[in-house]
Amino acid sequence: AALTPLPPPAGTDPATPLLCRRGAGAAVAAVAGDAGCRLLTVADLFDRVIRHSGRIHSLATALCEKRLPPRDNELGKSARKCHTSGMLTPNGTEYAQKIPREELTHLTLKLLQAWKEPLSHFNQHIEHHQELPDDSLSKAKQISNMVHELKTGVEKVTEKMQSMGIINNSLTGMASSEATGLSISNEANMMSDSDFIHCFRRDSNKVQSYLKILKCRIMPENSC
Amino acid sequence: KYLDFCTSLGQSYPGKPKIIRCRSLEKETFSCWWKPGSDGRLPTNYTLFYSKDSEENFYECPDYRTSGPNSCYFDKNHTNPWTTYNITVMATNEIGSNSSDPQYVDVTSIVQPDAPVNLSLETKTSAGIMYLWAKWSPPPLADVSSNSHVYHYELQLKPEEKEEWETISVGVQTQCKVTMLQAGVKYVVQVRCMLDCGEWSEWSSESHIQIPNGESPPEKPTIIKCRSPEKETFTCWWKPGSDGGHPTNYTFLYSKEGEQQVYECPDYRTAGPNSCYFDKKHTSFWTIYNITVKATNKMGSNVSDPHYVDVTYIVQPDPPVNVTLELKKPINTKPYLVLSWSPPPLADVRSGWLTLEYELRLKPEEGEEWETVFVGQQTQYKMFSLNPGKKYIVQIHCKPDHHGSWSEWSSEKYIQIPTDFRVKDMVVWIIVGVLSSLICLIMITNFTISQTFILPPVPGPKIKGIDTHLLETGKSEELLSALGCHGFPPTSDCEELLIEYLEVEDSEDQQLMPSHDNGHPSKNAKRIPKEKDSDSGRGSCDSPSVLSEKCRESRALPSTLQTQDVRDVQENKEGKRSWETECIASEQKILLFNNESTKETTWPATQLPDNHLFAYHSIVDAHKITLSTTNVNITSFLVGNEEHQSQYPITETLHDDMEKQREMENLHSKTDQTTVQVIKNRPNDKSPFLNPKLMDYVEVHKVRQDKEPAVLLKHKENSRKSDKYTVPGTSKEYTKVSTVVDHNILVLMPDSRIHHTSVIQEPAMEMPQNLQQGQAEKNMSYCLTVPSECKRETSGSEYMDPSSFMPFK
Repeated sequence: AALTPLPPPAGTDPATPLLCRRGAGAAVAAVAGDAGCRLLTVADLFDRVIRHSGRIHSLATALCEKRLPPRDNELGKSARKCHTSGMLTPNGTEYAQKIPREELTHLTLKLLQAWKEPLSHFNQHIEHHQELPDDSLSKAKQISNMVHELKTGVEKVTEKMQSMGIINNSLTGMASSEATGLSISNEANMMSDSDFIHCFRRDSNKVQSYLKILKCRIMPENSC
Repeated sequence: KYLDFCTSLGQSYPGKPKIIRCRSLEKETFSCWWKPGSDGRLPTNYTLFYSKDSEENFYECPDYRTSGPNSCYFDKNHTNPWTTYNITVMATNEIGSNSSDPQYVDVTSIVQPDAPVNLSLETKTSAGIMYLWAKWSPPPLADVSSNSHVYHYELQLKPEEKEEWETISVGVQTQCKVTMLQAGVKYVVQVRCMLDCGEWSEWSSESHIQIPNGESPPEKPTIIKCRSPEKETFTCWWKPGSDGGHPTNYTFLYSKEGEQQVYECPDYRTAGPNSCYFDKKHTSFWTIYNITVKATNKMGSNVSDPHYVDVTYIVQPDPPVNVTLELKKPINTKPYLVLSWSPPPLADVRSGWLTLEYELRLKPEEGEEWETVFVGQQTQYKMFSLNPGKKYIVQIHCKPDHHGSWSEWSSEKYIQIPTDFRVKDMVVWIIVGVLSSLICLIMITNFTISQTFILPPVPGPKIKGIDTHLLETGKSEELLSALGCHGFPPTSDCEELLIEYLEVEDSEDQQLMPSHDNGHPSKNAKRIPKEKDSDSGRGSCDSPSVLSEKCRESRALPSTLQTQDVRDVQENKEGKRSWETECIASEQKILLFNNESTKETTWPATQLPDNHLFAYHSIVDAHKITLSTTNVNITSFLVGNEEHQSQYPITETLHDDMEKQREMENLHSKTDQTTVQVIKNRPNDKSPFLNPKLMDYVEVHKVRQDKEPAVLLKHKENSRKSDKYTVPGTSKEYTKVSTVVDHNILVLMPDSRIHHTSVIQEPAMEMPQNLQQGQAEKNMSYCLTVPSECKRETSGSEYMDPSSFMPFK
């Protein structure tokens, strides 16, 4: 970050990465003054992943309501167990605000990783369900893609934050979680469709909430 | 015949209307209804007349609308409880009219209130005895505050399946306790009311209640809803069923998803009766709460249906607060409304845990439909395109993004959008414009008339492009130019004239340059034409600042000003005005120098233009002209010699300043038209004619309209410059006034040329002043300032040399 940032777009962030997004999803280093390529701050990146997770959650909700009419009592019909419910994740503001940033980041990535494989499996699975409306299928596919993108995005933000020293490098990488992901994905494959969607919806909301909390903890001045 | 014709069509006068009833709800107002008779197959109008017992007069119904069709409503002001009203309804159509039988109305005897409302029933148990508790509200009244009326109530009830009602007289209370009821029976209850000695109202709508069997456990409670106001805590409410006639306890139980353990409500109190409050510690997200409520009395217990709650999705924030409406009125744009608000105080939006989205709605106060705008996460919004002159109601609500539900609407805020005055302004300005041009017309016409009739024709100086006859007689010219340039932006007429003049000058300059301007670099000369062009328009029509600029200069050059006269003027201290005029005078001086000594060709640019013989920019100008002609004809002249040589150095120094000045002038926009003109005129005159060597000066001694003016020719005297009037043709020697310096001095030119320009220079500012003072003397002394200078400047030459004068034709 040797270059001084151009006029920061939204809030002024002391740590402005020289990242710029071109096209779909790739983040590339930008030279200051490169016309048409705006400097991306961590805040910008956060805004993007948050928006992205919001869209995923909306899709999941739509899928949910299609399969399950939103009757409260349906919620508790079966004592469902999500494959991710074994993970210890903050379930309230206080906890989410106390937990170290690194850990929260890590948990977010873990959650996303945990859904990657089950989602693609779910896609293949429901393709054979003729009774499903077409747009459910396309929604499910969309979700699967978006989760993949979201994970890439969150990884990018994490790298950025690490490179700027906003969070430390204590994250041990995703290797271990990939391993656990494999083990729990079997569990996920055992779930019923509706449980699966419910669980995913919940976790997508979790991810979004964690990202928001992270952003506001790291950059409290940025529209928080 | 007509009647026959009508009858043949079956048309006739209307049938007799009948007054059906009159009724007062509360003794303060009353209404009467009538039934129309046949209408005679023609459109029929109904008119209600009434008289009061104490008066002879007949009045018409004050309000046909409020009580519906075929009715008349007497509001408070038309209702007197101590009066008997004699009421008649008259039906009228084309053929005739027909009146009802009179109805006599005593307001107190026709009182019948509406039925009571909001009847609610409840069973309660006290000391082991069960009773029914009924509550209701008095009838709502539109016009009157209901507090001032005391109603008597009556209640009737019966078991649902029976026919006979049991009536209970309640009195004036709005509640009633009924005992001796049969357990396990469903009852129907109604209530009615009466005002003083009036009639009973109708019975209210029926209410039903099941009297519980005293020996049963309580009914199942119902969980109504759970809500989290800030996504941190939440509360659930339930509604108890009937208590079975015994005191009943309620227990709130919940378990969390994936856990077997059942917990009891952590806090029954915080959120009020029949509720359970979960504080932060007890609130988990992304987990499902399974909630039940158990009602227990001594006869047994009953458990509600389970209720499942995921707190993430029951967030319903409070409405936004601090809603402020501000009307912004930027210049040149329509006013717009800025709405701003704050998130509800409970919501901690800063942590990122809860993100709120806002939606606002607004409508004109009398409007029916709300216009809804989704705002997103901002807490500010600008509304354009609001109808001026309307009062708007604005409300805002919020909701968490992606899940949860909308808050209540915030309280209503009102804002009055002011009417758009721009339209009004336009109208005003148009009116002002029309009026002022009218006035112009009138005045100009007056002047022209007086000129043509009173004054003998004056042989006018001629300049190429100027038609003297037109000038003398042509009203149209004057009118046009006056209209065109006074009080309005310059019209094409004006501009054309200016341009014409420019051409003339140009040639003049060219001729002058070689002969007189030897000492000056040629670049000056070259610059001239350009500057003329650029300046001409502004200089002639809108460069008000010239005056002030020059003022400054004159002050800055005290040496030129140091004449006795100037000092006098200053001593007079006439205030700003006098100072300004003085400035003008001095300015003129400076101009003179310039021309004389250096032949500053730059000057023509500023001075340029307009020959005001052609275009009178103001009434004042026109006025001047008439004056000038008069004076010229009657007066004799003195010619003054002015020494021009002495001033050379000064002019030199001036030159640069002048240049700057001019630039400055250009930058300025016009403020005062009259001044502008004056300034222009002056330069104008001087540039062509005031060649020091060539000129002789004539002073007009007393120029006053009322007195006989005398024009003196002065030689090497301190000349006073008064209004300069062109005196062409009066003598052979001086046919032209070459310049008019100040308002008192004329510069005349020998009659060597066929074409002369008559120039009139009277600073507009001075005129009024002089008139006010009414002192000719003062005037003169005041005017002296310039001349003295001029004299010095032009000292070398005695008379204008016709031959050396500019040879333009």
